[in-house]
Amino acid sequence: MLTSRPRWPALLFILGLALLLTALLRDLHFGNAPMQVGQAINGVAAHETGAANVVASVLLAYRGLDTLGELAILFAAATGAGLVLGIAFRNGNGEAQAKTNTEPPAGFILRKGADLMFPFLLILGAYVILHGHLTPGGGFQGGAILAAAFFVPQLARPSSPFNERTAHWVEALAGASFVLIGIAGLAGAGWFLAPLLGTGSVGELLSAGSIPLLQLAIGLKVGSELAGLMIALHGPKET
Amino acid sequence: METLSTATELEWLGWTFYAGSAGLVLLGCYALFAARHALRLLLGLFLLESGVNLFLVAVGFRPDAAAPILVGEQAGSMVDPLPQALILTAIVIGVGVLALGLALAVRVAKEEGTLDLAELGRRLAATHTPATAEETLPQSGRTETP
Amino acid sequence: MNASVLMIALPLLAAFLLPLTGPLARWVGPFAAALNIALGISLWQTVAQEGPSVVVMGGFAAPLGIVFRVDTLAVLFATALAALVLILWPRTSADPRRESALLLILLAAGCGLAFSGDLFNLFVFYELIAVASYGLVAASRERLAAAAGLRYLVLSALGSAFALLGIGLVYALAGTLNLADLSRHADALNSPLGLAAFALMLLGFGVKAELFPVNAWVAEVYSTATARTTALLAGGVSKLALLIVLHLVLLVYAQPAALSLLLTLGLLSIVSGQFAGYRAADLPRMLAYSSIAQLGMIAAAFSVSGEAGVLAGLALALHHLIVKPALFLVGDGWPKCVDSLAGLGRAEPWRAALFVLLALSLLGIPPLPGFWAKLLLLKALLGMGEPAWNLAAAVVLLGTAIEGAYLLRVLQTLFRGTTNAKPATFGGALPAGVLGVALLLVMLAATPVGGALQRAAQQAADVPAYVADTLGGSPQ
Repeated sequence: MLTSRPRWPALLFILGLALLLTALLRDLHFGNAPMQVGQAINGVAAHETGAANVVASVLLAYRGLDTLGELAILFAAATGAGLVLGIAFRNGNGEAQAKTNTEPPAGFILRKGADLMFPFLLILGAYVILHGHLTPGGGFQGGAILAAAFFVPQLARPSSPFNERTAHWVEALAGASFVLIGIAGLAGAGWFLAPLLGTGSVGELLSAGSIPLLQLAIGLKVGSELAGLMIALHGPKET
Repeated sequence: METLSTATELEWLGWTFYAGSAGLVLLGCYALFAARHALRLLLGLFLLESGVNLFLVAVGFRPDAAAPILVGEQAGSMVDPLPQALILTAIVIGVGVLALGLALAVRVAKEEGTLDLAELGRRLAATHTPATAEETLPQSGRTETP
Repeated sequence: MNASVLMIALPLLAAFLLPLTGPLARWVGPFAAALNIALGISLWQTVAQEGPSVVVMGGFAAPLGIVFRVDTLAVLFATALAALVLILWPRTSADPRRESALLLILLAAGCGLAFSGDLFNLFVFYELIAVASYGLVAASRERLAAAAGLRYLVLSALGSAFALLGIGLVYALAGTLNLADLSRHADALNSPLGLAAFALMLLGFGVKAELFPVNAWVAEVYSTATARTTALLAGGVSKLALLIVLHLVLLVYAQPAALSLLLTLGLLSIVSGQFAGYRAADLPRMLAYSSIAQLGMIAAAFSVSGEAGVLAGLALALHHLIVKPALFLVGDGWPKCVDSLAGLGRAEPWRAALFVLLALSLLGIPPLPGFWAKLLLLKALLGMGEPAWNLAAAVVLLGTAIEGAYLLRVLQTLFRGTTNAKPATFGGALPAGVLGVALLLVMLAATPVGGALQRAAQQAADVPAYVADTLGGSPQ
């Protein structure tokens, strides 16, 4: 049985760890961290990048390379999952495949609900992505919403088609455009991922230079990536 | 956000944050040390990561400061935006690792029929006791058991 | 200097676009790796002429933005990784397109690890290389490869969470993530909390660096993954993880407590690795344990403050980077059990001779480069003049003795008796041969190579120059 391991050593360990953490955290004064870099960024971000959302300007301007790495991680995870599941389903016995395909369709309410949700989720996702430099949100959050828009119908109707080819194209071009915007910054301003197109006036929809473009690239990439991942985990398709 | 009137309130808020993040971290660690089923371990990892992320957000906290988004001509102080950007990155990383972990778990379950990682570890350790048929040479007494 | 950024951007671009390249897909990867080597060589020349420099991402100077530090050490590792990826490029694979994409990502992330001068950025690239390696490990068709991959993923993710917690603590204490800026605020980290942050990061980055308490995955993964993946992980990725540790120790945690911690973990890795290697009955596991011990030696070298430690660690790391992948490749296709290797020395003389050469260099037999690396390590350890480091030198010697016992056991078995098994195909002949020739070249050119390494170590250990280069023009 999975739970047969005696629990007290683990509990004892956790208790020790808790004591250690308490002792350490006593030295850490809450609300009083030095945050030199954070304050400096708060002071200059709006002026330097033109984005009202300082977190977005940190993500896409000051730490744009982290975000590129993060996109690559998601891509690597999706690629790895495709690789692993491809082997699993190819080697898998026919019985397991048959089981995933005979999944019964959801009821009327779920199907209609999924159909109704689809346009609203698309609009919400697009809104969150395009306003990423003004309000909380951005490419990752909006991308997750977009992925949900495409995945919910799949859950409601497992047999409905999902165009993986288009998803691949969107994914590839969105990822490439992020890198290409970075290289354009290198060519134009001399630095990789340098902000382009000026800053505009802070708070407007069309402002913050290339940040909304990067948000869009991220949103499309994350959306197609997550949708593809969830559908891959959902099981093999006969298409 | 409302202003914090006293230092005590700030201290209480701090301990709430710390207790929350440390609690999640400890819960995650407990799951990782006590559980053996891969899905439980992955859930434990997720708890652990959440605890770490909560801690990072707590680090950026400033009393009486607003969220780091400029609205109109506001001049008040803002909390640290950097940890918020960091956890956004960390959350996405966590999701990627979790998804890949689940995909691996699907393959392992299909191939081995179990997701008990301790059992899988035993099977892995057992693979180095020679069992291939092509070996015709007599074994010298060197093959230890693990 | 912007070539350093292109070394990351171009492989990533290639990886993203790989699904669209159609029939060209199988050439894109090797081409990108070759391009990286060319960029690396051009950077090497620039650094040799103009000295180290700093590349600022997006024009946001440190400490607000992310910076790359381009020095000899970083260029050396980035180029070596690209070369390793190129010669280990798989000829056949279960899913060539996806595997190529993962290899390209691994290449980009490795260059990022070599160049980046920002703690969180290093973490991101570390995670990137980790995620790419989970996929590559599970791409093997060997039974239980996915199980090994899953166990590896869980342990590694646990480590990453710890590392992130450590980075959070560092930010809470010092208020910055830039390594040069942290170096200026090193005092803020000289407390129990700061040391706890270091320990957490060591646990986290130690997973890939095969350090003592978090290396349980090594033997399992290396004995189930394909030989080329194993070679890449053992040869390249582990060194890059240790490079993060080196940067931390040099720039931020030069305090004695942190150095002792690193030394302790290194010594425990040596001892546990060598004993486990002695007990191992099959070849891939034996090589995996030996790899743990070798990385423990590099960690011990990095715990020596100053140039001598960097030099010794660098020499050991590069030596291991050449030798261990080649050993894994030679052993691939041979029976796994050591006792069934008997007679192969006569059946496949060239392959066995290559194995002998590599094993002797790993052990440190005099004219071979491994000897000089170990000698540098012993000199560095004794040069500290402190009891713990003297003890460490003794432990290294003891470890070498045990290593000798089990490696010679393999060599003896190879040339004992005869076998009637027909020679196995030597799939890794070309890459293993290239690495073997590289080893011989290093042996013949020991003096210039030593000089170049010395310059690299000198540059890396010059902390004031690093800080001035990075923060020189910035306000604050």
